[in-house]
Amino acid sequence: MTVVILVLCLKFLNYLPMAVQTDTIRRYQSIEEVRSKLNIRDIYIPSYFPQGLVWPPSEILAQEKPFAAVIMEFNSAEKEDIVLIISQSASENFKPDEKIRIQRIKDRVGYPLRGRVMMLEAGVCTNGEPCSRVSWAEEGYTITVAAKSEPPELVKIAESMIH
Amino acid sequence: MNISVFFNTYAGMYIAQAFCHSVIALIIVERVIHLWDISNPLIRQRFGLLVIVLPVVSFPFYQLINPDRGSISFRLGSLFDINRWLNLELWGSVPLGLLFIIIILITSKIFLFQEMVPVLKHTLESKRFRSDREEPDNHPSVLQALEHLSVEKPDIFTIDDDDFMLFSSTGRNPAIFISTGIMDALSEEQLQTVIAHEIAHIRRNKKPFLIIAFLFRVVMFFNPAVLLEFRRIIQEEEKICDDMAVHLTKNPAALSEALKKLYYKDKILNPLKFRGLFKMRDSLEEYSHNMQIGSRIVRLEKDSVQKVDGTWAELIFTIFVIMGINYFVV
Repeated sequence: MTVVILVLCLKFLNYLPMAVQTDTIRRYQSIEEVRSKLNIRDIYIPSYFPQGLVWPPSEILAQEKPFAAVIMEFNSAEKEDIVLIISQSASENFKPDEKIRIQRIKDRVGYPLRGRVMMLEAGVCTNGEPCSRVSWAEEGYTITVAAKSEPPELVKIAESMIH
Repeated sequence: MNISVFFNTYAGMYIAQAFCHSVIALIIVERVIHLWDISNPLIRQRFGLLVIVLPVVSFPFYQLINPDRGSISFRLGSLFDINRWLNLELWGSVPLGLLFIIIILITSKIFLFQEMVPVLKHTLESKRFRSDREEPDNHPSVLQALEHLSVEKPDIFTIDDDDFMLFSSTGRNPAIFISTGIMDALSEEQLQTVIAHEIAHIRRNKKPFLIIAFLFRVVMFFNPAVLLEFRRIIQEEEKICDDMAVHLTKNPAALSEALKKLYYKDKILNPLKFRGLFKMRDSLEEYSHNMQIGSRIVRLEKDSVQKVDGTWAELIFTIFVIMGINYFVV
């Protein structure tokens, strides 16, 4: 009984700050919802999507406090698997979940693209499939795009995010 | 450094989670002691140690079994995420995390000045007293009091002082220091019980268990819940030594009388009546000290010294409950 009460109290205490401060990190149903509820200037979405990717994102997480951040996860159409993660954050120290974790990095290069220098990493994920990640600074945000694909495909996605 | 960033580093997560884990352990231990009606100080102390030891190891242990425990997804699905509170902004600008840091700093200061400094002072004082005298005194009243104690007797040194001073030093050559003021105030029986109490301290301090517990406490120097629990453990330690002294002398009444004469005050001024903060603090300390002595006297008068029953199963069960809940507290 004590344990049940304690767990319920913890749940309530966990819910309380979310109710008081509505702009801390939480899940959203759509990008439009993020735009309407949070005061985030720009949300970077690619205009190019490789085939086999499901739109809308399977998960959207966003916060305005303590700093603005948005994470979008995209599933593959063929299998229920996250194949693309896009995150933007106003803090350089923000670490989104590593759901696409590069197990072994083969290449890490500075890649110039439309006047920005992006950090491009290529390697393999846990099950040996190709993985790559690119990150750059954009208008006060650090943007990171990680995908289960070869670097050229990833660069195309990143390029389509720059206006 | 941004406060929210600090609490996302390993050091920040360790501090914040250790605090939460110890508070939860404290609540569970408190309930367990109440539900199972545990009154034996030795067992209460064992349960109390969970509040100090588990938070030290829980965070690295959980991270080891699940490195993604600090991830956003895990936090969103957790039972309690302290970062939600730490990121909460008071009046839209002051993060609650700042208040938490202030509490940690105050706790660390209390630890330093009320625990570490007195321990060092006590050690140096015992060394000084010891180095002043080459041989232990063979004061007739002490010899008489020790005559009927069937234990290995430590060196006993008398301090020529009318104040009540009684303490022991441990280590390779343990010793008891007793002031002439105490020897004059107590009867032979009472003197025997207070010396037996100090012998119990020396015996208990020989066990590495307590030293290890203290080391864990030092690691948690910043933790206010551990600060409270450690003080309670110290109080339980006094009761354990009372029990050992009673076991040696078979005379709880004499020890109770000695405590009354030496430390207990019938009337303590109400701490809330003082206007100055320092006076109020001193009065509160005196009040709390008197309460502790009072509870020891009541125990001795009730003759409630008990045997240690096998409670290891309950202890292990409690550990599992605490560790199980705390896994989902990030």
